[in-house]
Amino acid sequence: MSTGDIQPVLRVRDLSIEFATEEGIVPAVDRVSFDVLPNETLGLVGESGCGKTVTGLSILRLIPMPPGRIAGGSIELNGRDLVPLAARDIEDVRGRDISMIFQEPMTALNPVFTIGSQMVDVLRRHRDLSRREARAVAAEMLAKVNIPEPASRLDDYPHQLSGGMRQRVMIAMALSCKPQLLIADEPTTALDVTTQAQVLEQIRGLQAEFRMAVILVTHDLGVVAETCRRAVVMYCGSIVESGTVEELFGHPRHPYTAGLLASIPRLRRERLPELPVIPGRVPDLLALPTGCRFADRCPRVQDRCRLERPALVAAGSGGSQVACHYPL
Amino acid sequence: MSAGSLWGKAARKFARDRLGMLALAVVAGYFLVAVGVWFGWWASGWPDLTGSKWEPVSASHWFGTNVIGQDIFDRAIYSTATAFEVGLVVALAATALGAVLGAFAGFFAGSWIDDLIVWVMGVLDAIPFYLFVAAVAFALAGNDWSMHAAMIATFWVGTGRLIRGEVIKLRGMEYVEAAHSIGVPETTIIFRHILPNTSHILLVQASVMFVGAIKAEVILSFLGLGIKDGMSWGLMIDESTKEVLAGFYNNFLAASVLMFGLVMAFNAVADALQDALDPRKVS
Amino acid sequence: MELLQYSLRKLLGGIPLVIGVTLVSFALMVYFGPDQTYLLLGKNPTPEQILEVRQQLGYDQPFITRYLGFLREIVTLDFGAASTGEPVMDLLAKTMPVSLILILPGFILGHVVGLMMALAAAYWRGRWLDKLIMAIAVVGMSISFLIVIIGFQILLSSSDGLDLFPVRGWNASTFADYLTYVTVPTLATMFVAVGYETRFYRSILVEEMSRDHVRTARAFGLPESRIFVRNILKNCLIPIITRIMFSIPQVAIGGALLIESYFGIPGVGKATYEAIVTGDQPVLKAVVSLTAILFVLVVILTDILYRAVDPRVTLK
Repeated sequence: MSTGDIQPVLRVRDLSIEFATEEGIVPAVDRVSFDVLPNETLGLVGESGCGKTVTGLSILRLIPMPPGRIAGGSIELNGRDLVPLAARDIEDVRGRDISMIFQEPMTALNPVFTIGSQMVDVLRRHRDLSRREARAVAAEMLAKVNIPEPASRLDDYPHQLSGGMRQRVMIAMALSCKPQLLIADEPTTALDVTTQAQVLEQIRGLQAEFRMAVILVTHDLGVVAETCRRAVVMYCGSIVESGTVEELFGHPRHPYTAGLLASIPRLRRERLPELPVIPGRVPDLLALPTGCRFADRCPRVQDRCRLERPALVAAGSGGSQVACHYPL
Repeated sequence: MSAGSLWGKAARKFARDRLGMLALAVVAGYFLVAVGVWFGWWASGWPDLTGSKWEPVSASHWFGTNVIGQDIFDRAIYSTATAFEVGLVVALAATALGAVLGAFAGFFAGSWIDDLIVWVMGVLDAIPFYLFVAAVAFALAGNDWSMHAAMIATFWVGTGRLIRGEVIKLRGMEYVEAAHSIGVPETTIIFRHILPNTSHILLVQASVMFVGAIKAEVILSFLGLGIKDGMSWGLMIDESTKEVLAGFYNNFLAASVLMFGLVMAFNAVADALQDALDPRKVS
Repeated sequence: MELLQYSLRKLLGGIPLVIGVTLVSFALMVYFGPDQTYLLLGKNPTPEQILEVRQQLGYDQPFITRYLGFLREIVTLDFGAASTGEPVMDLLAKTMPVSLILILPGFILGHVVGLMMALAAAYWRGRWLDKLIMAIAVVGMSISFLIVIIGFQILLSSSDGLDLFPVRGWNASTFADYLTYVTVPTLATMFVAVGYETRFYRSILVEEMSRDHVRTARAFGLPESRIFVRNILKNCLIPIITRIMFSIPQVAIGGALLIESYFGIPGVGKATYEAIVTGDQPVLKAVVSLTAILFVLVVILTDILYRAVDPRVTLK
C-alpha cells in the first residue's frame, strides 16, 4: 500500500516463509508486503492459520528454524534489512528496537524467576545499567502500566499475579528499552472482556508516550476497529486486502473481508438474525489451488478466479489495495 | 481422532523412517534365526562336545570352541532363541499386567482400588531391582521361571504408571461418559473402550521391556540367577569372565556382538515406534 | 516450623510404604528364603539339634509373629548379629561407605557428562552434532553393563591391554590406592550411565525449549547460550532432582551389586546378596528396612527441594 512521503519504520517486501513438515513444504506466508509508519497502529487480521502470527514472529526471526525458513523477501527496519543479519545482531534488535508481546500471559513469563529479575535481565541486556539502576527502571515501568506498589511487586513470581497483571508486566518489559516498534500478537485474546479493554487502553496510551509504532496481530475485527488506523487482511498465507480501517469497514472490496465483517454480531440490532458464516473450509496449504485461494468459498466466484491468481493492486483513492478479479 | 487413522498415519510415518525400517529388518533377521532354533533347523548341536578346549576360529568351528570343546557359534546362535523367549515372555506378560492394573487404578482413581495399586507400585519401586530378583529366585527355589517372574513383577510398574495417567485422561472423555450413562458395565468400558486407546503406549512399552529383559538376563546369569536349563548370551558372557584375562575372547566377543546387534536394532525400532506413535514426543 | 510439620506428616504418611516394602521383602527373603538350619549344623545333625536351631532362628513360629518381631526390631533399630557373629549395624557401617565411594564418582560423572552431551545436542538440535551424540547414546544404551565392565577390564587391566590397573579387589587405605582401584569401576559405571542420562537430559531440555517463556526470552534478545544455562536449566530442575533423588536408594544399597560382585569389592550390595543366598536373616532385615526408610526420607527431601527450586510448589 502506498504510504505517501513519510518514511516507514518497517517495510516488509515479498516476505515468504516456508515450513518443512513430514507431508511436504508448507508455504505459510506467501509474498507478503506492508509498511508500518511511525506512531501508527497497523492491524494484521485473519483467521487462525492464515499466517498472521508467523508473519509477526518472523519479523524478529522467532519462528523455529528449522523447520521454518524465510524463503524470500526483505524486512527493513529504518532501511536496514533484518533478514540477512547474523544471529548476534538480530538478538540486539530484539527487545531494543522491536519488542513483542504474546497471547498467553500465563505462560509467557518464566515461572521460576521473579518478574523483577526477568525485567532486569532484559534491561541489562540492552542498556548499560547496574543491577540497582535496572531495578529502579523496572519499577518505574511497572508504575507506568498501573501496577500498584511496583517496587514490591518486582519480587513477585508470575503465578502470584492475575492474567491481566501479567500481560501488563509483559508490556512494561517490552517497552522498557524504548523500542520503535511493538508487535502485539493477540495480546488480549486470553483475557476477560474488561481486562481486554484495559490492556488495549494501556497500549494506546503508552504508544503516544513512547512514540512507537504497533503491529496488532489479531483475529478480532472489533479490536482492530477500536485501535488501528490501517489494517492488512490475510487469508491462507497472503494479503487479500489492505487499507485504512474506515475504508475496510465502510467499503470492503474483497469478498473475504466482507464475509468477515458480516459475521460479527452487532449489539445494536434488536433481533439477532442468524449470523452469516463463510461457507466451506480454508484450503490445505499443501494443496493450494492455482487460482484465487478464496475461490472455493467465494459467493462471487467466476471461471477466471479458478485459473488465475489475482495480484494485490491499488483500489479506490484512499490507498487501499485488494487482491481480487471482481472486487466489490 | 479415530484409532484407525492414528495407526495408519503411524505406519506411514514408520515406513518413511529409514533407520527404523533398517532396524526392523535386523530384528526380523534375528527372529528368523530364533525360529530356526525353535524348529531345530540349526544350532541343535550346541551342547555336543565337537572339539577340544579353546580351539581357534576354523572352518568347522566358525567362532572356535569353549573350555570343554563345545562349538561357540552354535551356542551363540542357540542363545538368540533364548533371548527372544525371555524378551517376549517378559515384555508381553509385564505389558499385560501393567495395562490391566494401570487401567484399573486410573479408572477408579481416588478409590481404594487405586490407592492399593499405587501402593504396590511404590513398594516395588522402593526395593532395589537385583535384590528383589535374587529374593524371588530363592523364594521360588530354583524354579525355571523364577527369573521371568521376577522381571515381570518389577517391569510392569513403569507401564502401569503410564497407563494409569492416560486412563485418568481418557476417563473424562465424552465417549466414555456416554458409555457409562447408557449402563455399559465398567469392565467392558475399561477393556473395550479405554484400553484399546492406550495401545500405542503399550506397544512402545513392550519394545522397551523386551530390550530391558535381554539386558537384565545377562547380569542375572552372571549373578547365578539367570537361565537354569539351556544356553544364553548371559551364560556365555558369564563363562567368558573366567577366560578373558587368560586371553581367550571368543565366547565374550560372540555373545557380546550378537547381543549388541539385537539390542541396538531393537532400541532403534523402539525409538522409531515412539516417533511414529507419540504425537507429543519431541525429537 | 512449617517445614518440620510437613516433614512429620510426610514421615507418618510413609508408614504404609515401609510396611509394604518390609512385608514383601520379609516374605520373599526371610520367610520363603533359604533355610540356614543345615548350613549351621553341618553333616548328620540329630533331630533334636535341628529342632533347637530352628527354634533359635524362629523358623517354628507363624509368619505373623515373625513379621511383628521384625517390626519391633525396626523400631528399636536392633537387628542382632549376622551369622558370622558380627553385629549387623557394624557390618553395614563397614560396607556402606565402601559402596558409596565406589559408586559415587561414576554416578556423578555419568550425570555430568550426560548433561554436557545433552546440552550440546539440544543446543544444536537437528544438526549433525545432535545426531552424532544421540547415536552414541543409543550405542551406549545397547551394550550390557557386564560387557562394558569386561571390556574396560580387558582394555585397562589385562596384559593384552594397557595393564594399568589391578584386575580386581579393593584397597582404599590411601588416596592413591583408592584411585587405582576405583578407576575401572568408575569408567564402566559412567559409560553405562551416559547413554541413559544423555537421552534423559536432552528430552527434558528439548521439552523446556518449546515453552512460551523461552520464546519470550528470545524475543527480548537474550542470547541463546544464556537462555540455556540460566533459564532452561533452572526450569528443568524438578525432573532432574526427581531422577537423581530417586536413584539414591538404588545406588546406596543395590546399585553397586554387579560391580562389587565382579571386582570382589566388600560393599553393601555384595554383603546383601550373600545374605540372600545364605538366608542370613538379620542382615536382610536390616538392609530391607533401611532401604524402605531411606526411600521415605528421599520422598520427603525431594518435596522440600521442589519447594526450593520452584516457587509455585507449596508444601501441603
